[in-house]
Amino acid sequence: MTTTVQYILSGLAIGGIYALIALGFHIMWSAAKAVNFAHGDTLMLGAVLAVMGVDVGLPLPLACLLGVLAGGVFGLLLERFAVRPFAGTPTSVGWMLTTIAVGVMIEALATIQFGGFSRPLASPGVNNAVRIFGAGVYPQELIIPVVAILVMIGLKLMQRHTLIGRAMKAVAHDKRAAALMGINVNRIVAFSFGLAALLGAAAGVLVAPVIQVSASMGAILGLKGFAVAIIGGITSAPGVVIAGLAFGVMEKFVEGYISTAAREIVGFSVMILVLLAFPQGLFGKREVLKV
Amino acid sequence: MKHLNTLGFLIFAVILVAVPMQAGNEYELRLFMLFLIYGIIAVGLNVLVGLTGLVSLGQAGLFALGSYTGAILATRLNFDIVACSIVAAVVSGMFGALLAYPSVRVRGVYLAVVTIAFGIIVENVAIEWQSLTGGTTGLTSIPRPNIFGFKLAGFAFYGVLAGTLFVFTILIHHLRLSRYGRAMLAVSQSETASRALGINPTGVRTLAFVVASITAGVAGTFYAFLNSYISPDIFTFSDSVRFLLMVILGGAGTTFGAVVGAYILTYLPEYLQQFAIWQRFAYGALLLLVMFILPRGILGTLGELLSRTRPAPKAPDASEGISAETSLHHEARELPAELVAHDLTVRFGGLTALSQASLHVRGGEVHALIGPNGAGKSTFINTISGFYRPNAGRFELDGIELTGRSSRQIARIGLARTFQNTELFGDLSVLDNVMVGYDQRLSYGLSGALLQTPRMRREERECRKTAIGLLDFVGLLPQANDPAKFLPFGLQRRLEIARALAAKPRLLLLDEPAAGLTTQEIDDLEIMIRRIANLGISVLLIEHHVELIMALADTVTVLDYGQVIASDTPAVVQNDPRVIEAYFGTSHSNVGDNEVVA
Repeated sequence: MTTTVQYILSGLAIGGIYALIALGFHIMWSAAKAVNFAHGDTLMLGAVLAVMGVDVGLPLPLACLLGVLAGGVFGLLLERFAVRPFAGTPTSVGWMLTTIAVGVMIEALATIQFGGFSRPLASPGVNNAVRIFGAGVYPQELIIPVVAILVMIGLKLMQRHTLIGRAMKAVAHDKRAAALMGINVNRIVAFSFGLAALLGAAAGVLVAPVIQVSASMGAILGLKGFAVAIIGGITSAPGVVIAGLAFGVMEKFVEGYISTAAREIVGFSVMILVLLAFPQGLFGKREVLKV
Repeated sequence: MKHLNTLGFLIFAVILVAVPMQAGNEYELRLFMLFLIYGIIAVGLNVLVGLTGLVSLGQAGLFALGSYTGAILATRLNFDIVACSIVAAVVSGMFGALLAYPSVRVRGVYLAVVTIAFGIIVENVAIEWQSLTGGTTGLTSIPRPNIFGFKLAGFAFYGVLAGTLFVFTILIHHLRLSRYGRAMLAVSQSETASRALGINPTGVRTLAFVVASITAGVAGTFYAFLNSYISPDIFTFSDSVRFLLMVILGGAGTTFGAVVGAYILTYLPEYLQQFAIWQRFAYGALLLLVMFILPRGILGTLGELLSRTRPAPKAPDASEGISAETSLHHEARELPAELVAHDLTVRFGGLTALSQASLHVRGGEVHALIGPNGAGKSTFINTISGFYRPNAGRFELDGIELTGRSSRQIARIGLARTFQNTELFGDLSVLDNVMVGYDQRLSYGLSGALLQTPRMRREERECRKTAIGLLDFVGLLPQANDPAKFLPFGLQRRLEIARALAAKPRLLLLDEPAAGLTTQEIDDLEIMIRRIANLGISVLLIEHHVELIMALADTVTVLDYGQVIASDTPAVVQNDPRVIEAYFGTSHSNVGDNEVVA
């Protein structure tokens, strides 16, 4: 019983991170039919900058805020200079390779600046573990899935009630029609990439106290976030959040009962199997082919 | 260009023979052999990246899979290098198909993610399955390579590697020049148009990835023999990026680009070592630089410069082709080309775009489908051509049920179409566009393409001649070698018609062919459609130009709010009060003929 609860709670924590990353992919894909392949590195950037901010004596909240904002700026720049120049090309080779290239560069830079080792971010959220049915978890871990769900609800509310949110939906539905209605499509796409990057960097800051921060932490988290987006359906925000939380819990059980290597094997195999059985993901909708 | 390739292969062969003689020591030769192995991966990956425009970030995983397969067979079962590489090719090819099929049918981007994930799966299986793979310590003491028990000494092993790379480069060059290469390029440019021409985009993309997987697997086996030691941590994500960079840097889609890229990136690390920690940064920066400054890669850019200095290749002459009248001629006893649609209903959510629409195109007639904007005309032909599934109703061509079939199958049954917003393969030449349209009439298979068998050559000649004749038919022969995207709009429309005709359809759907054309161009179009109909091809025409319809159509069907409100000869339809009401909102019996304007 205790172990089960432990796995579920820790799984929800890491799953919340996957969900936040996947939400970022969802937002970018909806707006641009393109994503930032360095999205995992956005997360790393947020976490690493927060740790470095604390190092130079900034108060924790300020360091975290700076990390998140820097992540957002990174997303904006990447959209403008790496994605947009290739937006009109028929294949996706262009923006994929440029964003991957930037990811490789950022990771290399971070390794040089931060060192090749891992460090945790000190946070009041991990000072004392709380006990739930005998399972020990940090408050920080309990917050993460809640944040993921709140962000998803916030996104839905924004899309329903604000002008920019409705513009995002319009652009996702039909770029040309949206442009004809006077929507500045480029600005909406830039906003979407910025927003996604903010969420990614925030996920990095949130997870930093729980797992170790390192220059290479982004790659695997980003990849799993995308896997979750594929499983949940990249077109569905609630879908990717549900899939993210479930994926995290599943990972903890496999890790606990078998091994960490098995965790990766099972996790990614599940992604491929879901893709075989549900091409649009579990909750995704088929994008209408406009002829 | 053809001579240039022959020259290229000659130079390549000379280099491959000369290098081992020049090699000063064991290390130099070994490094060159490593280049050959990378070259094998890169030429295969070039098919995926250069032709289908897809990206794999997991070639290192397939490379590892091939390495482990070869190493296990060699150490446990004493297989020779030939058997090892064949099994490795089969194993990686199968995994390639398994990975590609689910990913590329949804979104091409997924392939990149699925392949990285596969790399991680392979790594972890290698760690976990200790009894087979030796776990984290890996497999040591892989025996020296042998063929049928004869040990391969230094140069002999070199010969195997060089020979394999050379043969793979030729085979892939052949693949690129065949229907498969054309189809891959076409799919990368427009999936919609490919489907409408009877090409299977998922199949074509999967094939490209399987080719890339097989070469990676074979290269992996060779690597295991060269290194005589492998472990899970030597196959990393950075390697996958490096393999990609080889293709892009050398020139994606060119014959030798991948080899050149592999050469540079095998020797570059030797120089980059002095930068120590900046090495990985340098890879990223190099990739970024290439994408912005040299997007066509080294050989792609050189080729472009070369073609600029030389006079443009002469457009083919009409006498080289088979006239459209001959190539499109249907035997009298063939089927009449009759399309019958019964009560088609299509709903999008709450909106009923088509409501029990029925239509009958008689064999050989020109049938016009008209109606105000939003009447459901486009929905109708998108349904007939298999892009939308009807909620109810059925349709058939010459008694062959088409309901529920995919656009690809419908195209192969004899229905061809053009698009309202032209869907050309922009980067392909005008001639190649038409040759893609001919694809479903070709019968040679993959082995024919790879070996350029006489049958393949004969069919390709036939395809080219037909395409030339069709270009002459639509008056585009002078532009035959231009990229389709540079054609002015009016000519693009004509190219779409030629491309659709290349499939030798029984029924041709034209979706607003006159939209955006000048009066002169519309007159030409009228003559062209008449000639097509005279060849026995039924034409279903969606149009707004009333004059064109009145001049051409044998029958006019009018749609309004998704329902057929009239279907008769032009003269009758023109005076039908319901038609007049649909266009003007009120019904007055005194509205004259000429006022029915769409």
